Amino acid sequence: MDWVNNFIARLRALFRRDVVLNDIDEEMRAHIEMETEANRRFGMTPEEAHLSATRSFGNVGSMRDLAYEVKGGGVAETVWRDVRYSGRLLLKHPGFAVIAVLTLGLGIGANTAIFSIVNAVLFRPFPYESPDRLVVVGETLTGARDGAALSYPNFADWRDDRNVFASASAVRPNENFNLSGLGEPERLQGRLVSAGWLSTLGIKPLYGRDFLAEDDRPGATPTVILSYGLWSRRFGNDQNIIGRKITLNDQSYTVVAVSPPEFKFGLVGLDADVTVPIGLSAERFKARGADPGIGAVARLKPGMSHEQTETALNLVYAHLEQQYPASNARRRAYLMPLHEFFVGSVRTPLLILFGSVALVLLIACANVANLLLVRAAGRKREISVRVALGASRGRIVQQLLTESFMLAFMGAVLGVLIAHWGTGLIAHQLPDSIPRLAEANVDVRVLAFTLGASIITGLFFGLVPALQASRLNLTDTLKEGDRGSSGRQRLRSALVVSEVALTLTLLIAASLLIQSFRRVLQVDPGFDSKHLLTMQVSVSNPNGFQVAAFFNQLQENVRRLPGVKSVAISNGLPLVGANHPNFIILGRPLPAKGTEPVAARYTVSADYFRTMGIDLVKGRVFTVHDTPSSPQVVVIDEALAQQHFPSEDPIGKQLAQSPGTLSYEIIGVVRHVEDDSLERQASTTPQFYLSFNQIPTEKVPGFVRRINVLTRTDVEPTSLTSAVRGQIAALNKDQAVFNVRTMEDIISESLAPRRFSMALLTVFAVVALALASIGIYGMLSYSVAQRTREIGLRMTLGAQRHSVLRLVIGHGMKLALIGVALGLVAAIALTRTMKNLLFGISATDPVTFIAISLLLAFVALLACWLPARRATKVDPMVALRYE
Amino acid sequence: MTNPKADLLQGTLDMLILKALSFGPLHGYGIIQRLRVMSDEMLHVEQGALYPALYRIEMKGWVKGKWGENETGRRAKFYKVTKAGEKQLQIEEESWDRLALVIAKMREAT
Repeated sequence: MDWVNNFIARLRALFRRDVVLNDIDEEMRAHIEMETEANRRFGMTPEEAHLSATRSFGNVGSMRDLAYEVKGGGVAETVWRDVRYSGRLLLKHPGFAVIAVLTLGLGIGANTAIFSIVNAVLFRPFPYESPDRLVVVGETLTGARDGAALSYPNFADWRDDRNVFASASAVRPNENFNLSGLGEPERLQGRLVSAGWLSTLGIKPLYGRDFLAEDDRPGATPTVILSYGLWSRRFGNDQNIIGRKITLNDQSYTVVAVSPPEFKFGLVGLDADVTVPIGLSAERFKARGADPGIGAVARLKPGMSHEQTETALNLVYAHLEQQYPASNARRRAYLMPLHEFFVGSVRTPLLILFGSVALVLLIACANVANLLLVRAAGRKREISVRVALGASRGRIVQQLLTESFMLAFMGAVLGVLIAHWGTGLIAHQLPDSIPRLAEANVDVRVLAFTLGASIITGLFFGLVPALQASRLNLTDTLKEGDRGSSGRQRLRSALVVSEVALTLTLLIAASLLIQSFRRVLQVDPGFDSKHLLTMQVSVSNPNGFQVAAFFNQLQENVRRLPGVKSVAISNGLPLVGANHPNFIILGRPLPAKGTEPVAARYTVSADYFRTMGIDLVKGRVFTVHDTPSSPQVVVIDEALAQQHFPSEDPIGKQLAQSPGTLSYEIIGVVRHVEDDSLERQASTTPQFYLSFNQIPTEKVPGFVRRINVLTRTDVEPTSLTSAVRGQIAALNKDQAVFNVRTMEDIISESLAPRRFSMALLTVFAVVALALASIGIYGMLSYSVAQRTREIGLRMTLGAQRHSVLRLVIGHGMKLALIGVALGLVAAIALTRTMKNLLFGISATDPVTFIAISLLLAFVALLACWLPARRATKVDPMVALRYE
Repeated sequence: MTNPKADLLQGTLDMLILKALSFGPLHGYGIIQRLRVMSDEMLHVEQGALYPALYRIEMKGWVKGKWGENETGRRAKFYKVTKAGEKQLQIEEESWDRLALVIAKMREAT
């Protein structure tokens, strides 16, 4: 029960401090009076008696304090007092408090937000059963392991080989289906998979069952697995959906399963709406040359390593090579962990982001440390006075730590807010092409780590000066004023130097990205992106004649709309995608299997070149006279001409897709289009164009699954969206229209990841620059305040203003320049890692390095200038009398 | 806190206060006087230093203070040893005796 009484007593003291103090005072007064009376009984005069009593009692004030410390609110009370005292002090110097809190908040918040995202994308396991046992299988002819497509017949030959995988499923994403018969027609995202799709990933369907072997063959009753999203969106979470029939591409499919809500295969955003057995369209994938190809995901057998499985699989490929030398010569398989496959391409940019955030955090911590050191030094006299008045070392350390802790705490609160708000904001801003972003939210462990790092920094750098201050030699400090211990001076200088170095590194990295972005924007794509409206329509009608007639009529009708200059259709679009088949040149020796040249193939209408603004270099483009019955013709680009006809005229030569197939006569050469990406320097994959009008009618549905309608306008292109849509609906009300974008949108979207990392890194660099300037300014301001007497003395002895300026600025600039030198070394080492992100600029571009160094030196000079000017305003008389 | 002539350990002062009070309730001034008598004037505690120690053992629940009047009718706070305090005094005295015994034996050995 003692502790209860104790607690109550302390609580009483905490809230009724005056009562407790009065008690103590009265008790002590009574004591002295009794002693006085006793003294008088011994014959002293009243004055003598009182004096003697007081003397033998000792220092009433300090005894009272000691007594109160025992009896008072205890730790809770001293902490509370420290908090109030520290709060008052911080309010007295709001600039310091605001800068420290903002610095910490930004550091904690930005770091946590970015790391949460990096973590969600790179490190968090996928929501499948034992995702580390899942691999993606690819085929390669050259030994390169980079996502080359797999041949479906090859896949069919090994998927059931239980010596290789526990299970495997084909995956062909980005297939589109038209959902009709349910009111408004809708274009659905779909994928083709094989039997055992869900069981390979280890997913239990919400309802229904996985695809079985009998669903996955030509001629089987069509079946479909619905995504949770589609099921709730279009089918109102109908629990009796299993067995229901829906119409996809004018064909009836039976629903066999609904996937669970969290399920998604890799790429971000929503999961594909529908999943359909690939076996139904096995005919389309029958070529062993992997054209069109598929992907495959497989689960390793228990106890078998990645390497063992790859070896086992390649035994199968060795057999296939003997069996089908035409298509399988040198064809080998490789495995890639699923995780690696999904996130591999975004790893470098995210790690660079993460690195830069870590740098900002370091700078933030260095700054807070510096601020605390400067402040503690500035308070040396205050502390000395308190020590002289009897404050114990422990009390002073406790109070200083309370102050650092309060700053760290406020910074942490701000940091948590920024982290929470920033994660959402960044996840929202990031391009959709970054996988698994939707799963990013503030990672508690990351937050804990960052908070810990920042608070420890705050406390540590609060503790160092606190300990030093409490160990002060009183007389020295009081006598000499504060000259600052050289040790702390060195620590501060080191912090300033490292801040400058880190900032320089970030600034250079950001500047390289900004310049890369500007250069990408200046890339001439080979077409005119202005005033160009694009939209996609899917072709599901099996009747080729109707499809061709539909598009011809559509072009006629759209061309007549006011504001339209020209209209065209194509089955591919630059920066969006096109097929990349092999081709051969007739009359030349056949290249070895696997070394055939590859080119992007666009099937376009006659007005495509005019509409896209692709210039004709030589010969002619398609006209209405190129029909299925006239000679088959092809237009090639300059790249194809240069690569394959370097010294002859390509016009009149013949191309074919493979020996013995239809051949095409080259009629014209057009400019090369940067169709893969604006960011790849001098992409050399050539392009050729076939005429839409020349496709034999019966082949049209197989040829064109997706058609882009391109409209070049005189007016703002989006103003024509509804008019063009209206024309499509007028011809076929069930025709879904999607991806309505201007060509400029497409370019902008293709650059979104680059723009994002550039913008983010720039923000970091600017924050770092601001923090570093504050750091330099703070350090010098303090140093000037510290040397007021010395400067005053110099001026009394005849020093000129400019020599004082030089003295102070020289001090700051020396540190800044050391920082710049170190930063340059660090930048040379670090920018190399971001080579892949740069475009048209070297990772060690000397102009950038010099310009940024000068910029930073200039900012440092400004930060030095203010304190230096203050130094010249020192009045020698005041300075000498100071203290 | 204490006179260097008898630089007492903190716990020792606590024990002495308990000892002084074990003969009956006293106010602070009275404790000082009794300590002086008990130690044959050898122990000289700085008077003010009594209070932090007194409050400490009060917070520990070994003594209990109560306002009352002294022999001349002056208001003063009287302290009384509690049960816990009696037990504590016994424990401390025993450990002191043991220590004294050990030291005595060691001194004899030399």
